[in-house]
Amino acid sequence: MKQNNMLAMILAGGRGTRLHELTKKMAKPAVSYGGKYRIIDFPLSNCANSGIDVVGVLTQYESIQLNSYVAVGRRWGLDAKNSGVYVLPPREKADANLDVYRGTADAISQNIDFIDTFSPEYLLILSGDHIYKMNYAKMLAYHKENNADATIAVIEVPMKEASRFGIMNTDEETGRIVEFEEKPEKPKSNLASMGIYIFNWKLLRKMLMADMKDNDSSHDFGKDIIPVLLNDGKSVYAYKFKGYWKDVGTIDSLWEANMDLLSKNNELDLHDPTWKIYTEDVTSLPQYIGADASIEKAFVTQGCVIDGEVKNSVLFTGAKVAAGAKVIDSVLMPGSEVEEGAVVQRALVADDIKIGKNAVVGSADSEHIELVAKRVKGEE
Amino acid sequence: MSQAFGIVNFAGNHIQVDGLQEYRPVGAFSFLGRYRVIDFPISNMSNSGIDTIQVYIRRKPRSLTEHLGTGRHYNINSKRGKLHILYTESNMVSDIYNTDIAAYIENMDVIERVTQPYVVIAPSYMVYTADYSELLKTHIDSGADITLMYHSVDTAKEEFLSCYTLDINKQKGVDAILPNRGNAKNKNIFMDTYIMKKELFLDLVTKAHKMSAMYSLVDIIDEQCHELDVRAVPHRGYFASITDFKSYYDANMSLIDLKNATTLFVNDWPIYTRTNDSCPTQYFDSSSVKSSVVSNGCLIEGTIENSVIGRGCTIKEGAIVKNCVISSDVVIGKGVRVENVVIDKHAKLIRGKRVIASPDKPGYIKRGDTL
Repeated sequence: MKQNNMLAMILAGGRGTRLHELTKKMAKPAVSYGGKYRIIDFPLSNCANSGIDVVGVLTQYESIQLNSYVAVGRRWGLDAKNSGVYVLPPREKADANLDVYRGTADAISQNIDFIDTFSPEYLLILSGDHIYKMNYAKMLAYHKENNADATIAVIEVPMKEASRFGIMNTDEETGRIVEFEEKPEKPKSNLASMGIYIFNWKLLRKMLMADMKDNDSSHDFGKDIIPVLLNDGKSVYAYKFKGYWKDVGTIDSLWEANMDLLSKNNELDLHDPTWKIYTEDVTSLPQYIGADASIEKAFVTQGCVIDGEVKNSVLFTGAKVAAGAKVIDSVLMPGSEVEEGAVVQRALVADDIKIGKNAVVGSADSEHIELVAKRVKGEE
Repeated sequence: MSQAFGIVNFAGNHIQVDGLQEYRPVGAFSFLGRYRVIDFPISNMSNSGIDTIQVYIRRKPRSLTEHLGTGRHYNINSKRGKLHILYTESNMVSDIYNTDIAAYIENMDVIERVTQPYVVIAPSYMVYTADYSELLKTHIDSGADITLMYHSVDTAKEEFLSCYTLDINKQKGVDAILPNRGNAKNKNIFMDTYIMKKELFLDLVTKAHKMSAMYSLVDIIDEQCHELDVRAVPHRGYFASITDFKSYYDANMSLIDLKNATTLFVNDWPIYTRTNDSCPTQYFDSSSVKSSVVSNGCLIEGTIENSVIGRGCTIKEGAIVKNCVISSDVVIGKGVRVENVVIDKHAKLIRGKRVIASPDKPGYIKRGDTL
């Protein structure tokens, strides 16, 4: 805490409905990504690498796996004295009944007591389901430089897609935000909010106390808190982020984010030794590549056994491709197996799913990526 | 929780692995890409419920202490258990006096303070999996004074030449422990693995120390074979002894075959190691990889055949790697061809073009060398 007086809170309660079976029993931040990671490894590793020692993780939807996963703060080196990852699902209190988090802002409001125990000067709000590498210390420096009340990280998006985002209109010279528009029909700028906020805790605390009592509020940062800040004339600055950033909401975008790792010198650069992404340490064997294997453009991790053909694909921990099988333009999640002669194309095979002998899933010219979440029987 | 504590012993001064050993003890050798040799004995102990483990280091402790750290990656209870790293400080100067007995004598008070009544001693330079809790049960049930583990081989003429062998009588008793002179094919190779009561162990150590300053535990047990009830238990499954350069190369190569590897890596018997937080390995368009074991964190554009590749290696376009054992963070440059070679950490083969040794006499490229 001492390091920079900033405490991070990760919003990780999201359901991720459009990921279908992948999030049926697991919150979206716990979904696997990039061969060996879970999505929440990214904000957690970013915190660790940015010198943030205390991280609260707000969980709600199907949180058993997520809670036990993030509770082991050692994985990200967040286990020193006065450091830790705190799992914060909704709870019953002496003066309040057990109530779900009604919105992103409410999740923080319900944990004001937790935050107060650390009495931070700054509060960093993050999303648990975004894939990116970012140095929050730089963002804090920018926040301090501007003497800001709040700073919002923004990323430039293509103008024609801007209407899908919360758009910040800024004073070009100072970077100060003059207007915020949620999914504007006619966007005036292409600076999209990344859902990453730094607040002066004292100010935010006051606003949250008021917001809690406001029956008309939806208790959401984007919809309620930020507009009030701007209306009150507070100084809110946009911190421009350059680099890879992805919010994987659908099977297609999760697949795409994995495929992004296959290109040479890709923007996310997971190889960078100065900004490693940390994750669970598993005891699987190294990768075993068989005598008849063929691997062309692939991202493969430990525990994989490849005897067949793998092309343009990402293979997660323990995925197996048997002899004569083909995996093309696909993602094999942890523990999935493609048996002899089977063909997997433009598909995302969910955790521990088996594709039987000679079975064919997905197709080269499908519009969407096929999610395979049930065992596919083989043909002998 | 085990009734035994563990001792992981160092390789005696009769063991010399050329090249690699100049930088670190055998236990710290990179093995099969992601492991170190010492991960095997420590994981065996941890999986057997042994949570008090002493690791003895004879020389060059840096890389081994760095790898072992607090030992928490070995999954031993961090409150009840302990991984203890011990040295022989006074004998570092003259290596011939640097025996296991000297190390035990110097750390006698540490051993005396251990509360477990039995000790399991295993070497840091052999690769195998074994359940010591079963071995301990066999030992206690048999009423023997000492139980030794061995592996029967039919290659003792060419291999295991720095190992000891057991002369076993029909009652499974040990008559003698003799050096392998390479004069017969079939031998019972002693796995340098012992079980006995702590009291007896301390007794033998004291006796050995009085007899000769160059005695090791093997010598004293060999001498006491007829006074004590010393028995032998056979080991089945994968077994390799890293006691010379060729055996290091061969052991790595033998595990490229997954079927063979499953005799070492058995179910529910994880081998722990220190994580390096490397990302997965990236294979590019031009890559061709066959019959190989590859660790995480590599960038592969070239061709790899029948090789073991360590963490974080770069194999550039047009490079050909065949029958090699490569440690971590090695770079094989564009168009370089390398065959039958062990390449140590951080080496860069950029302009060498061709480094080719013969399969029966594999080559060695030093740590950090640029060719």
